Amino acid sequence: MRRLPVYFLIDTSGSMYGEPIQALNNALSGMVNTLRADAQALDSLWISMITFDREVKEIVPLTELPSFQLPEITCPQSGPTHTGHALEMLYEKVKLDIIRGSSTQKGDWKPLMFLFTDGKPSDLQLYREMLPKIKSLNFGAIVCCAAGHLANDSLLKELTPDVVHLDTADSATLKQFFKWVSETIEQGNKSQGTGESVTLPPPPSEITLII
Amino acid sequence: MYIENLFKRFNVRVPANRQKLFEQFMHEEFNVEAVKLIMEKHKIIMENWELKVRIEDILAKQLIIPNATVAKPYQEALDFNQPEFMEISFIAFDNLDQYGLNFNPDLKLIEGIPNQSGDFKVKMKFKVFGEDENSEPNTKMISLVINADPKSLWKNIASDDQKDKTWKEQHYWKPDQVEDFQKLGSKHIVVSSKRGRSHANVGAFREDDYAFKHFEANGWSVVCVADGAGSAKLARQGSKIACKAVVDYFEQNLTDDNLRQFDEILLHHHQEGGDSQPISHFVYNNLSKAALYAHQQIEGFAAEINHPIKDFHSTLIFALLKKFDFGYAILTFGVGDCPIGLLNKDLTEIKLMNWLDVGEFGGGTRFITMPEIFSSEKFPTRFGFTLTNDFSYLMLMTDGIYDAKFVVEANLEKLENWKTFVDDLKGNNEDRAAVSFDVSNQEIAHQLSAWMDFWSPGNHDDRTLAIIF
Repeated sequence: MRRLPVYFLIDTSGSMYGEPIQALNNALSGMVNTLRADAQALDSLWISMITFDREVKEIVPLTELPSFQLPEITCPQSGPTHTGHALEMLYEKVKLDIIRGSSTQKGDWKPLMFLFTDGKPSDLQLYREMLPKIKSLNFGAIVCCAAGHLANDSLLKELTPDVVHLDTADSATLKQFFKWVSETIEQGNKSQGTGESVTLPPPPSEITLII
Repeated sequence: MYIENLFKRFNVRVPANRQKLFEQFMHEEFNVEAVKLIMEKHKIIMENWELKVRIEDILAKQLIIPNATVAKPYQEALDFNQPEFMEISFIAFDNLDQYGLNFNPDLKLIEGIPNQSGDFKVKMKFKVFGEDENSEPNTKMISLVINADPKSLWKNIASDDQKDKTWKEQHYWKPDQVEDFQKLGSKHIVVSSKRGRSHANVGAFREDDYAFKHFEANGWSVVCVADGAGSAKLARQGSKIACKAVVDYFEQNLTDDNLRQFDEILLHHHQEGGDSQPISHFVYNNLSKAALYAHQQIEGFAAEINHPIKDFHSTLIFALLKKFDFGYAILTFGVGDCPIGLLNKDLTEIKLMNWLDVGEFGGGTRFITMPEIFSSEKFPTRFGFTLTNDFSYLMLMTDGIYDAKFVVEANLEKLENWKTFVDDLKGNNEDRAAVSFDVSNQEIAHQLSAWMDFWSPGNHDDRTLAIIF
């Protein structure tokens, strides 16, 4: 059976402390419930979650949706945003996780990656070093979401053309965003020609696509 | 001792001349009893505190129950091996039965057959060692996720639901399911093509297609199967044009002169063996032109309606066959990930007529709509030819069938897998769906369509299977 591996990179740096992290937990839980009710997703979706602040943690290793349990995501009251370090962990995990197709095994669908951040990388040098490596992994889509006025859209643009901006990280907006994420995921397992990537569905009005 | 310490705490000193009095005081019955009582209370307080901590530890520790699935028998032992949970002396669950589950206290199992899906909180009541037997049990809320039965989630929405004729024309609509059974020269063909669950679920179109024709004039037959790419907007039209174009091409181009020469080459090859180059030459010349014609037809259509050709991405396989006195000649072409398999008469040999374009990642394949396939050095290897006395089945299928039944390319080379596949078609399957390969069987196309409803987790693509027998 073909798997659709989806990686979530979630900023848990100090600025997310309090209401934003609560809203994020709620929105993620809503998204997982939506996906659970989707026949296709229930059959093929595998989810991994990595959080990053000063520390980078794989809070859920790549897990099939029927067995997936969303943990409560917490964050420290202050501290830097180690986005580069998170990409480094992602790179290692993806290299290990992904099953490539051959004449004797069924390949995964191209993996998808969603990065959610409300700040900018504190480890900029590492972040930039990781960019070409991440791009070499052949993701079906990389979507970065920048929330709030402190998030740096242009740095994210260096990682992927698909950057969206949320003005606030409140509960309603996040819910909309993750609903859109689940729609994108539902697009992820369709046959593509070699080298083509996943087409993103049109985002809802709360989300600004950064051109 | 206790009283001495008490005095010290209150800075009461007993001078030497009162020492005797103090001794007496300590041994007065009231005081002895009081100290005993106090010590007992102390003990209780300490124990209570320790109890509270143990209970709090249990409440704070995450107890994970693996997710359940509706209608799927569930049996999971609660993981009480963690140190915090060792203290538990009693467990009961309040509301498990409403989900079709119950708790087996002896084996500490949650078991049953879940009957509803959702993200639930169940109440676990527990006591720890040392708690009063008559006290109210403690309550811990535990998350229990019950997934829906995946089969129940698939909807079947017609692609032309409440749509009129004009809409259908504008949207290149085609029926969600088609089937056919016909004589094909000296053989018969049964074929069915149906929309996958993933498309039915959202009311999308069938992207697969097929076409076949027997040319009475020269005895040749052609069978084509194509699989439109799910990610291409008009793939359904791409696969349709591709199949039709191949049939049209051979209809127009299998001319007498050309064929007579080929018949002679084949006869010569059959009698004398040896040099097969003239055959390869004919196969390559004729089939490549048909493939290119299919590409051009799609290209032309795309240009006409002002769409990029990639909107029409489709794989394409086709087989030409003809019966001679000395046996069958079978010529094939393939681009994409759809196999053509030829089973000999007594099912002792399988010949896979084409190789598959299988990408590193799922769904990554090649299409007849990609101009680069024609200039690739691998293009000449896309053709197949065989001469055989007779055969039992010649099958052309899309990946909707092959992914589910053969899983990987390597299995297509194995006779065992094809035998299992034929058995499966004949009814050796979960649903007891059977196709009776009898040319007088008027139900055969329906039977094949019904068989194609088989359930295979993760394999919900369109399914097309053409069987020549």
